[in-house]
Amino acid sequence: MAMKLDEEKKAKVKLAVKRRKKEVYTPVIPDTQLGFVHNNVDCIGCRACEIACKDKNGLPAGPRFRRVQYVEGGSYPEVYAYKVNISCNHCAKPACLPACPTGAIFKRQKDGIVDIDSTLCIGCRRCEATCPYGAPQYDPEEGIVKKCNLCVDEIDAGRKPYCVMGCMMRVLDLVDINQLRQGVYDTKAIAPHETPVRAVKNFADPTLTNPSIAFIPHSKGKVE
Amino acid sequence: MSAKDISNHITSRLNLTRRSFMKSTAGGAAALGLGGLIETRTAKEAKAFAYEPYPKDDELETVVTSCAHNCGSRHMLVAHKKGDVIVRLSTDNGSYQANGHFGKDTEEEPQLRACLRGRSYRQRLYSAERLLYPMGRVGKRGEGKFKRLSWDEALDYIARKMIEIKDKYGSTALLDQSYAGASYGVLHKSDQIEGLLGRFLGMFACRTNSWSVPSYQGTTTSSRWTFGTIEDGNEDDTYAHSKLMIMWGWNPAYTFHGGNTFYYLRMAKQRGCKFVLIDPQYTDSAAAYDAWWIPIKPNTDAAMLAGMAHYIFANNLQDQDFINRFTLGMDAGTMPDWAQNSPNGNENFKDYILGTYDGVAKTPEWASAICGVPADDIKKLADMYARTKPAALKASWAPGRNAYGEQYNRMAAALQAMTGNIGKLGGCAEGVGKAWHAESVAYPYDQYANIWFASIKSDRWAHCVLNYPNVSREEIGCWPRSDNTDGMIPNIKGIFWQGSDWFNQLTNVNKEIQAIKKLELVVCMDSTITPSGLWADVMLPVATHFERHDVALPWYKGHYYIHRPKVIEPLGESKTDFQIFTELAYRIGEKDGKGEIFGRTYNPKADRSYFDNPDAVDEAYLREWWEQKVMHHQHVDMSWDEFKQRGVYKFTFDKPYVAFREQIENGKPFTTPSGRIEILSTELAQIADWTRTRYGYHIPSIPKWIEPWESLNSPKTAKYPFHLISPHPRWRTHSIFNNCSWLRETYEQEITVAAADAKRLGIKTGDTVEVFNERGKVVVPVYVTERLMPGVAVIYEGAWMDLDENGVDRGGNPDFLTLDEPSPAGAFAYNTVLCDIRKTHLEHRPGWDQLATSRAHVFRRDL
Repeated sequence: MAMKLDEEKKAKVKLAVKRRKKEVYTPVIPDTQLGFVHNNVDCIGCRACEIACKDKNGLPAGPRFRRVQYVEGGSYPEVYAYKVNISCNHCAKPACLPACPTGAIFKRQKDGIVDIDSTLCIGCRRCEATCPYGAPQYDPEEGIVKKCNLCVDEIDAGRKPYCVMGCMMRVLDLVDINQLRQGVYDTKAIAPHETPVRAVKNFADPTLTNPSIAFIPHSKGKVE
Repeated sequence: MSAKDISNHITSRLNLTRRSFMKSTAGGAAALGLGGLIETRTAKEAKAFAYEPYPKDDELETVVTSCAHNCGSRHMLVAHKKGDVIVRLSTDNGSYQANGHFGKDTEEEPQLRACLRGRSYRQRLYSAERLLYPMGRVGKRGEGKFKRLSWDEALDYIARKMIEIKDKYGSTALLDQSYAGASYGVLHKSDQIEGLLGRFLGMFACRTNSWSVPSYQGTTTSSRWTFGTIEDGNEDDTYAHSKLMIMWGWNPAYTFHGGNTFYYLRMAKQRGCKFVLIDPQYTDSAAAYDAWWIPIKPNTDAAMLAGMAHYIFANNLQDQDFINRFTLGMDAGTMPDWAQNSPNGNENFKDYILGTYDGVAKTPEWASAICGVPADDIKKLADMYARTKPAALKASWAPGRNAYGEQYNRMAAALQAMTGNIGKLGGCAEGVGKAWHAESVAYPYDQYANIWFASIKSDRWAHCVLNYPNVSREEIGCWPRSDNTDGMIPNIKGIFWQGSDWFNQLTNVNKEIQAIKKLELVVCMDSTITPSGLWADVMLPVATHFERHDVALPWYKGHYYIHRPKVIEPLGESKTDFQIFTELAYRIGEKDGKGEIFGRTYNPKADRSYFDNPDAVDEAYLREWWEQKVMHHQHVDMSWDEFKQRGVYKFTFDKPYVAFREQIENGKPFTTPSGRIEILSTELAQIADWTRTRYGYHIPSIPKWIEPWESLNSPKTAKYPFHLISPHPRWRTHSIFNNCSWLRETYEQEITVAAADAKRLGIKTGDTVEVFNERGKVVVPVYVTERLMPGVAVIYEGAWMDLDENGVDRGGNPDFLTLDEPSPAGAFAYNTVLCDIRKTHLEHRPGWDQLATSRAHVFRRDL
């Protein structure tokens, strides 16, 4: 259920709102930025990552933190298909964060994880509307918005998120996104001859929020 | 409990605020807020992360186990539990095996990562459909009205009825329809041959067996004729060594059949392997492996293969040395002398292909007219296959689930042999594809196992029941017996389903509905309510594999064992199959006056207290199996206790496991009658009277193209213009998991229609249609795509039937349209179906609240 605000919380929210009005949002520049890399071509679209995520986060039917999108095109018999697999991109400039009226959304300094403090979320769903990637997901049972937090408990325990650890094809990985872009991060998600890109078709313009994600694109999924 | 555990325990008990917990874990978080929104004064405590409190993995007890259902593989599931509740499941991370560490994932010992079905297991375990108590029917059969029974009432009723039926109708009156549904393990096994039910009914001396395997009987029979075994498979790591992979009707991206098959194929691709897919659908496998897609009309595969064989012979591209050394009947030079006197013809394969006998050369042009593939493509593929070494022609099961499906598999084997790709790394002789041989039976598999008094083709039971006694043995495929009951038609009066949803899953369900009304006892043993169970008289709640002790093994590919401890206590009053049969055996002994002998012999390590506490007995069986079979036969030096502690044992081989390597490299004979790869089957060549065989009808001695009874080439298309195929879905294992909401979000039970057909019919994605033929009607939504050959329609098998008052299936189970007419060799003709499609006002009933379920995001072209 949506949090019923007691006096203490109300005061906190007031403080946060006041602060928000006063300050211009300056993005957190994390020590390192974690992000996903996904191979659009080699992914078989099995959605084991989705189910692992649902199970990890104990989600009911409805909210889906991770969404494997099926893209297909061409005309019979010259057809093609590929997958674009995204959850939250833990953006460098998250659109959701300044949109939150209660200050529930924050970005972690250490590794750039963007998360929602469920004790402050009032379920107004503004973040849902501002996110270009559909990451925030409304949970109708609890009346709050939830989203991928990179399995922060697993990260803190020195492991990787459930979706990555569940990927049967090893095409989804969690990486230091800057190292990956510089070509110095080794991951099974990328074959030796492949170069990751920042955006593909069916994915919102990355200049909006500078999402921390990289793709190996399908030849039909490349953008200029 | 360690100090940390105690602290965590207290924390959770006291329900301390969410905030307290991040203090201890994320020191770095205190530094949050430089330039951010966080006011440092109030941010002295770190932020909680969303929807906490929930226990972290390290606060939970970790138990290694596996999934357990009928998909061919068994992958690792790691249960994280609190008390007696499984909080979540993870999978292999490389740390559990001997010499493992977190993240270890090598080519030799890859992680055994579970698929989406396995990952959703908690939803099945704790589902609303979970069967918790014995249930007895109170309404009409199939009406779905039950009341709760005590175990005493349920078992007494079954025991009494069993005795009554046997006394009245004889030893064939109870039909064994056990299958590998939810109970697959070395101890608690459900299976047609090795299953617990088979041994139970056999010892009771009343059992009709079902011998044909729905998924792959055409393939099984073909492999036995050709290679003398169904173990014609390579381990999946060998795929990484292929230069060409021809996926014939094979979609590993959906089936996950085998430990890491799909992953090794990715390695092959990275190493330069080229992929080809022959399939009416452009599947996700084709997309992921960047395959050359060759769309083909369903049920015409043998014709295309014959066309390829013609090209290879005509251009002299065959590996003649291999043919001469290893094959029988491939050409005139490899024909045995005795064949001249064969009652089933003296033809060799090459001359058949070249048209020597019938004047019809099976040229690519001839094939093209049948299969719809351009002759140039057939030639190009044949050329590629003949010239690329090593090349794998992976002839999967689906095209064999057809009228004369066995001929497709035999034809493929002939091509594999003529190109010399058998017994070689990177080649392929599959076929069935079962590879490494595991020790698979821990329960007493002795002289009492698999006793039967009649055995019929599995999809002919309804025909047999409805027409008894006016049934001929060939109609039902009676397996021959060497005593005076040979050919006796079974008088079936009762059915047992153990780990089996066959009523929903066999062919022509409407005929089954007629037949089941004639039975006197129907028992269903399963962990959940199933569509079959609703037609039973008694439903018995069976413990899931999380609730009993066992060991899992992949029966298909992969070389490992996974320990399955009793992770939690059985929910409700559920018991294991082994407990139920043991107790039933004692009760039957009480009633028929034969005492405890049945019970004691059925479960020799147990006494009657087994029904209340099976743990020590199960442990004894498993330990004996491990120490005497696994350690002894397979040279494993890990002790049973260490295995239990680790949870997994992964075998490593000196060199990749390739079927028939010994035969090809060292001249060991094949296990066929001739010791050769039998393109000409010795068995078939000797048969004069087909009615006295289990096949019932004629089968040529060599692989031949035979026109199926329904296809896009038959005149019947005037009335029913679509060829319906019903492949295995990704989001269910057959019918298992149909009730899981997480999986429901990944698919819809729909009919796939080609864009060109949809345009003609005026239907678009999301419309609801009725799909029908003379056998039945189903109602499903439509998915329109360019990824399908026009004229073909696809409905994935396994949807739970949901009949309306007019007998129309609103759930979308394609088996209301399939025909219960098996191929001579026993192949189910699941994919030999013509039907028509039209828009309807009838509502599809998905069995799920679709409003509560967010649907998959699919970006399709503007269709």
